[in-house]
Amino acid sequence: MDKQFLKESVQQGAVAFKAGKMDRRAFLTLCAMAGVAVSAVARGDAHAAANQIILWNWGGSSEVCHGQYIAEPFTESTGIGVGFDTSGPLQGKIKAMVDSGSVTADVCDADAFDAIALGDSGHLEPIDYSVVDKAKVLDGFAWEYGVSIIFYGYAFMYDTEAYGDNPPNSWADFFNTAEFPGKRSLYKWANGSLEGALLADGVSKDALYPLDLDRAIAKVKTIKEDSLYWGSGSEAHSMIVNGEVSMGMVWQNRGKAIEDDTDGRYKLVMNEALAMPGAYIVPRGNPAGRDAVMKFIQTAQDPKAQLGLLDCLGMTPTNPTAFGMIPEGQKAYAITSAMNIDKVVYNDPVWWGANSEKAVNAFLEAIS
Amino acid sequence: MTLPDTGDLSIKNVTKTFGSTTAVDHVNLEVQRGEFLTLLGPSGSGKTTLLMMIAGFEDASSGDIALDGASILNVPAEKRNFGMVFQGYALFPHMTVRRNISYPLDVRKRPKSEIESRVEEMLALVQLEGFGDRLPKQLSGGQQQRVALARALCFAPPVLLLDEPLGALDKKLRIEVQAQLKAIHDRVGTTFLYVTHDQEEALSMSDRIVIMRDGKIEQVGTPNELYEKPRTVFAADFLGKSNFLERSEATYALRPEKIDVAPSGDLQCAVSVTGKIQTISYFGAVQKLMVMLDDGKCLEVDVDIWRNRNAFSVGQVVDLGWTDDAVTKLEG
Amino acid sequence: MILPFLAVIAGFYIYPIANVLWLSVVEPEPGLGNYAALFDTESLRRIILTTIRICVVTTFFSVLFGYTIAYAMVHMDQRKQNLMLALVLVSFWISILVRTFSWLMLLGHNGLLNNGLQAIGVINEPIAFVRNELGVLIGMIHYMIPYAVLPLLVNMRNLDMRVMRASQNLGATGTQTFLRVYLPMTIPGIVASTILVFILSLGFYVTPAILGGGKVLMIAEYISVQILITLKWGTAAMLATLMLFGVLGMLYVMSRFMKLSAVFGGGR
Ligand SMILES: Nc1ncnc2c1ncn2[C@@H]1O[C@H](COP(=O)(O)OP(=O)(O)O)[C@@H](O)[C@H]1O
Ligand SMILES: [Mg+2]
Repeated sequence: MDKQFLKESVQQGAVAFKAGKMDRRAFLTLCAMAGVAVSAVARGDAHAAANQIILWNWGGSSEVCHGQYIAEPFTESTGIGVGFDTSGPLQGKIKAMVDSGSVTADVCDADAFDAIALGDSGHLEPIDYSVVDKAKVLDGFAWEYGVSIIFYGYAFMYDTEAYGDNPPNSWADFFNTAEFPGKRSLYKWANGSLEGALLADGVSKDALYPLDLDRAIAKVKTIKEDSLYWGSGSEAHSMIVNGEVSMGMVWQNRGKAIEDDTDGRYKLVMNEALAMPGAYIVPRGNPAGRDAVMKFIQTAQDPKAQLGLLDCLGMTPTNPTAFGMIPEGQKAYAITSAMNIDKVVYNDPVWWGANSEKAVNAFLEAIS
Repeated sequence: MTLPDTGDLSIKNVTKTFGSTTAVDHVNLEVQRGEFLTLLGPSGSGKTTLLMMIAGFEDASSGDIALDGASILNVPAEKRNFGMVFQGYALFPHMTVRRNISYPLDVRKRPKSEIESRVEEMLALVQLEGFGDRLPKQLSGGQQQRVALARALCFAPPVLLLDEPLGALDKKLRIEVQAQLKAIHDRVGTTFLYVTHDQEEALSMSDRIVIMRDGKIEQVGTPNELYEKPRTVFAADFLGKSNFLERSEATYALRPEKIDVAPSGDLQCAVSVTGKIQTISYFGAVQKLMVMLDDGKCLEVDVDIWRNRNAFSVGQVVDLGWTDDAVTKLEG
Repeated sequence: MILPFLAVIAGFYIYPIANVLWLSVVEPEPGLGNYAALFDTESLRRIILTTIRICVVTTFFSVLFGYTIAYAMVHMDQRKQNLMLALVLVSFWISILVRTFSWLMLLGHNGLLNNGLQAIGVINEPIAFVRNELGVLIGMIHYMIPYAVLPLLVNMRNLDMRVMRASQNLGATGTQTFLRVYLPMTIPGIVASTILVFILSLGFYVTPAILGGGKVLMIAEYISVQILITLKWGTAAMLATLMLFGVLGMLYVMSRFMKLSAVFGGGR
């Protein structure tokens, strides 16, 4: 095919793309056909034309929610468009993208430990705290290479019919199959499961980190025979709704939906819930440039945006201003609501950033 | 050759229909023990179907088939003990020649020693000594054919059914194998029921020939009887060549070689007509003249070339003559 | 004409494979450390053994059922045969995720089967058909059967049925004919579907992840975890290399016993 033709097509594509006439995938395909590195197009002349932030998230309703509560106000105030890549910004994918030199995303809806791990390995842009406001983040959740916009968490749910008058209320109860018989489900990639195990084994909240891996694994193994493990939220959801387990670890934001789906038979326990800071991180050499993406992150710090995400996705605000504004119906499920904020245990992303490889493999070895 | 003590096959009023086609139509036939009987007919005349009913692969729609007087209709194919040589041979491709031949004895769980000696005997019979350890695909067509024959004869079946066994061979090889097949028949004495659409094959090997047409038997007889006294136009035409003459409401067959031919005025014969040579075709030993009579009809005439060197040319007017016993009156 | 084609092959296949080989000896540090881990990490060995065990069992039953189905198909009349073939082909279109979740709905704790059996009083407690190795096997075998059927079907359809008649005519019972003639003549089909199913099984990971309840860890899933989550690319590359050479080794051993071209339908 004619190179010039393709090059022109790409540039026209970039215009169409900006005008919203072409979706991102078609645009990328076009670039690929032309043999043009996407980053080159995005960063070079097409960049100015495409003038857009690409948010890399996990798809599902997050595309709609991020669009409505962050992208819309952002575009309104800056005139910069927002596109989505919904394939899930796993660490490995971010690393591969940066290493290959063709960076196609500007900001990733990732975990705090990703910010630590990938920041250390040089795959991320530092956060510009002259634009992003540290005061709008709960103390301790703004790092050099990432800033927390939301919390989510690991909590567990139990079958009210199985345990009647003496319901479980702690990870100790969760791991106590003698007093609370029945199947359990845990998260398969170790996160949260290890903390729960240590808390159950008597480690105090404050002494949790650095995690004593051996001790945690030993505790996990004590209920191995009674455990199932899930890898996705929907799996965790269905294990409970189908009655496969009498106690199931879940992402706390699913708690309400599951209570509704089971007509209240399963109840969420927020005591000792493990709060996970999410983090917005910026792959190094992001196509839209630093200024634009920092403004985008700043928009996401707004209490209105964060309360919107709470309503839409069940993700809890990290901006202390927003804590008091959490609506009544959400308080029981939100990590940072007044009724929960003192009961939760915060995950240490620095430890996970440095140790996730070891922890995940040790956990997988223990359960398989 | 002593007559075997089994092998009388009788086919009584057998019919086979496939939906609306009648493949075999009220066939009656007595096959005598030790006989080499050929079913001869054009393709589609029901030969294979009849053979398949005898072998037990098709059920007769009506009628009965009996061996040595006892009906075998209720005997399953694997118990009928009829050897069969299939069109295309159907050798077991994954077995050596030896294992192919011993197969019928293997499945009958006969003692090892008996099997071994019998296989050697069979290899000798079909002149394949030394080929025992080859695979079928390592043999020529003619050799494969002989393996199929040995395999079918190995368990000494009372009747051997052969469905166009030489169809895949070239002409020269076919003639060679015909002779071998006939020799083997004479040695083993088994009843051979042989299917072919090749009249020369039928003529050269058979004790008797059954001419089949549209599922029915047209005529049964020795090769000589059928050749000399065909009963119908179909029989006369299918077995050898024939001229047909209409004389007083009847049809007569006249074989081309039974016509005498001479340059005009030279012929002294009972019946004689004159005609003009239209074409001459050369066949080595004979040449065929196509002669147009005065009434516009054409007669085919075979002429011995050596004895009539340079006697005839196209366009020449000739006399044709034949004796009374040269013509056969046909039915219908 | 052939040269650019070769270049494309090299670009699309050889380069990535070379890249994987390279990674397996340089990540995280140059040397054979990743391979040494095979010998001193018990869990790696266990994952490999689990994978092999599951793949072998899956292959065995898939080929067994596939054989039965293909056999039944070639003995049906043409119309039914086409219908069956359509059914087999349609199953290629149903996503593996949908199928996996269907099994959960069917065989799960609260699935149709358990509920049914409980309702008619055959059992009191639900039987654990899924969320364990049995579940993984059920899901994988079901997924693989169509792959097992196709090579066998091609093989069986091309058989000369006169050969079976010949066997019967020579006095063999149905069983004898099957064991001595039919089965040996379908060995190329069996080998082809065995290789196909085994290799495809090695790469499975959605089904084990979900139907195994997280407890059945196979190489493919482990590799993906090492690439996407723990970033141990060296280990991942080492395991990928191992699988590659495992499969090549298998093909080599097979090729010593039979012409692979015959297995894969080449020459005659
Ligand atoms: N299985 C069958 N189904 C339908 N018709 C058949 C079948 N087998 C043979 N016929 C028909 O029966 C007739 C005789 O066939 P066949 O016995 O094969 O003839 P031949 O062997 O003399 O060529 C043909 O018209 C053929 O089409
Ligand atoms: Mg025939």
